[in-house]
Amino acid sequence: MEMISEQRIPASLDEVWTALNNTEILKQAMPGCESFDAVEENKFEAKITAKVGPVKAKFKFNVEMTDIDAPNGYTIMGEGQGGVAGFAKGSAKVDLTEDGTDTILAYNVQANVGGKLAQLGARLIDGAAKKMADEFFGNFNELLSDNDSA
Amino acid sequence: MYSEELVVGWACRKVNRPVKWTSDRTEAFLADAHGRDHVAHAEMAMDKNGKFLAMRVNTTANLGAYLSTFATMVPSYLYAFLLAGQYSTPLIYSEVKAVFTNTAPVDAARGAGRPEATFLLERLVDVCAEDMGLDPAEIRRRNFIPVDAFPYQTPVVQCYDSGDYNAALDKALALADYEGFAGRAEEAKSRGKCRGIGLSSYVEACGIAPSAAVGQLGAGVGLWESAQVRFNPTGNVQVFTGTHSHGQGHETTFAQLVTEQLGVPIENIEVIHGDTSKTQFGMGTYGSRSLAVGGVAIAKACEKLIEKGKKIAAHALEAAEGDIEFADGNFAIAGTDKAMNIAEVAFNAYVPHSYPEGLEPGFDENAFFDPMNFSFPAGTHICEVEVDPDTGVVEIVKYSAVDDFGKLINPMIVEGQVHGGIVHGVGQALLEGCQYDSDGQLITASYMDYAMPRADNVPSFDVDYAPTNPPHNPLGVKGCGEAGAIGAPPAVINAISNALGIKHIDMPATPENVWRAAQTATS
Amino acid sequence: MYNFSYQKVSSIADAVDAIQKAEDGKFVAGGQTMLPTMKHRLASPSDVIDLGGIDELKGISVDGDTVTIGAMTTHAEVAASSDVQGAIPALANLAGNIGDPAVRNRGTLGGSIANNDPAADYPAAVIGLGATVKTNKREISGDEFFTGMFETALEDDEVITAVLFPKADASAYMKFENPASRYAIVGVFVASSGGAVKVGVTGATACAHRGMRLEEALNGNFTADAVDGVEIPIEKMNSDIHASAEYRAHLVKVMTKRAVEACS
Repeated sequence: MEMISEQRIPASLDEVWTALNNTEILKQAMPGCESFDAVEENKFEAKITAKVGPVKAKFKFNVEMTDIDAPNGYTIMGEGQGGVAGFAKGSAKVDLTEDGTDTILAYNVQANVGGKLAQLGARLIDGAAKKMADEFFGNFNELLSDNDSA
Repeated sequence: MYSEELVVGWACRKVNRPVKWTSDRTEAFLADAHGRDHVAHAEMAMDKNGKFLAMRVNTTANLGAYLSTFATMVPSYLYAFLLAGQYSTPLIYSEVKAVFTNTAPVDAARGAGRPEATFLLERLVDVCAEDMGLDPAEIRRRNFIPVDAFPYQTPVVQCYDSGDYNAALDKALALADYEGFAGRAEEAKSRGKCRGIGLSSYVEACGIAPSAAVGQLGAGVGLWESAQVRFNPTGNVQVFTGTHSHGQGHETTFAQLVTEQLGVPIENIEVIHGDTSKTQFGMGTYGSRSLAVGGVAIAKACEKLIEKGKKIAAHALEAAEGDIEFADGNFAIAGTDKAMNIAEVAFNAYVPHSYPEGLEPGFDENAFFDPMNFSFPAGTHICEVEVDPDTGVVEIVKYSAVDDFGKLINPMIVEGQVHGGIVHGVGQALLEGCQYDSDGQLITASYMDYAMPRADNVPSFDVDYAPTNPPHNPLGVKGCGEAGAIGAPPAVINAISNALGIKHIDMPATPENVWRAAQTATS
Repeated sequence: MYNFSYQKVSSIADAVDAIQKAEDGKFVAGGQTMLPTMKHRLASPSDVIDLGGIDELKGISVDGDTVTIGAMTTHAEVAASSDVQGAIPALANLAGNIGDPAVRNRGTLGGSIANNDPAADYPAAVIGLGATVKTNKREISGDEFFTGMFETALEDDEVITAVLFPKADASAYMKFENPASRYAIVGVFVASSGGAVKVGVTGATACAHRGMRLEEALNGNFTADAVDGVEIPIEKMNSDIHASAEYRAHLVKVMTKRAVEACS
């Protein structure tokens, strides 16, 4: 499925770009993220517990940042295995544009879920993915605002 | 055949105890064979009176990712060979391309190929009727194979046994009150609903199958059937059949055959099936063959018992064998009241103190029957629907079915098969469909998303019969188990197309699809 | 299912205690969502705390203009209750059309709203009737209870005890069923009281909500025709193999109209 949207972040482009590459911030922003560790340059391993309603599934993601165009954007891709729950694949193309003292963060997310979650819960996948994306970017926004005021 | 069946067989030999395998529902959705996946393009050439001159069909049939047991037979022999339908179309060209894709294997399911053929043909006939400005019943009449043309050799290999297509159509039109439809449609309109009526005049090939024919087609088996009728000294009869009921009521129908033929009380008859440690080799149940082929084998075994019984009775009654008549369970000297009941004869056979010389003791005969031809049930189904244009919901308000199954051994069981088949066809027409997303993920993998027909999806059915006599079947029967699933889908879709005044709508005609079609039609 | 520890508690205090002590505990009410999920191994709580033994969570009573339904009351009980049928027949009908008889004999009001499935029926009624959700800690208005997809205002150790439904002068629930699951593709609960109209919409979006634009049109013109001019935002609608966003937006209007017609 596809999600295209944008967020206004009250921070400078450089601040936003730095945060986008800060594994601690990414971990805190991602709902259910238990760990986000660097493996190699631009490659990471993330453990995420996805909770949607009654379902609670633990995923192990291999994450990679590519098309890096500092400080304007990148593409972040992940491929995750969720055990019996199935698997998930996604990529987000993130583009930053300065707008006064704010930054507009535009994202284009392509994602798909396979295995049991898709077999049994196809009607909920789009909604759940959108919810997670909204939460991620909402948290990210807040974390940056917090950092600013700190 | 599923690999699990073979593995279980191997496993129980390895561990020397019974082994059972059960799939869960999701597994069944993912890996059990799916059915009916064709994309077809069909053309009909007619003369100015709507008489069919030639038909051309190009079909792409999905086999799935792996080849399954009947997979290649379904879109070829069980599909293309039925493209004549009930019509005398002299020239038919069919090309089927069978392709492998990423889906679950596609194989036989109730009707196996015949629903696909009938849907295509009966939809095409309605489109022709519309183009020619002819009533759908009338265009069919103009093209029916006449009653005196049977046995009828179609241009597509099959030779139909017997049929009277006009008789079934007449009966169906009356049963459906076809004449009164216009009035009902008007009344529905006043309530904001669109009524439509659709016909389906189907014929199918079942009673699988003449061994020589399937041998020619490359089968590695013969499709005869076996029966053993064991009359015990106690007076009870055991019928061992190589078929296997999965709910079709063979236990009743076969017992009925035997009680009628041998005159033994039905409560003394036991039908044994489905246990290869008890029964002789048989070819199973599918393709509406159990009665048409298996039933005849039982009848033949009974005939052998009667023949033997005449010898035993003749000896016991001190008469010539030729003077012995068998009727109503009794062997009697013709023209006298000197008689012996079959149970007595059986007892005699096991206690042969006074017994024909050279005749083996025992009263236990087996028989195998290999049919000379397929059997060709046919009929007309008429479906009346009411469409809610605001939501696209289709309600079937009336469904009439008139079928030719030859002789009916047990009318109640036949009607049950007709009901079940119709519901299966309605499911295909309105509700069911396996869906994969663009990444090949099956997203209809539970009954929460895969819509099965339920009791409230259908009305009570009006069912009647217009039997003919199939000359090559000793019992005069035609198979009936799949006919409903074959006849129903085009009847439903013809009715919806009629209701909306559209050319076609694909199956399943879900509420959204119907709503969109209705929007397009009125714009 | 994976192994878990099961407890059937007999008081709310015990339930709260149990969930606080559990490593990763879940309450179970009717189990109609929880148990299938656990069987599929899509959830594996360490502790399952059964609320079925708590008597004070059961029962239906009418007091003046308020119908109080205990959180552990089953859908079948609500549907069959002469109290509910007399006071708010639309609510009894709604309960009687949830799932199928087996589901209705086990599923509960509290379980349904605590779960807040986007396609559940009860949330539309809670919102449409302006009901109040009572918990062991506080009272939460229907408008504030449902906060997002599968999300509610409940805290982790909070237990719904009952829902208080105010009677309406007229109300009706119209549901367009998913042909397979019979869940609500779109479900609209319309209630009119003292001239004021409330509309609760479920199934259509990520979370049941007040249909504000519909209310605006209906307040002052409580007729089906008033709905014609309302624009339902397609971009918020759910979309799946059973109904696209466009079709769903259309159905919201159709079901609202039919609910309004059923009110008279």
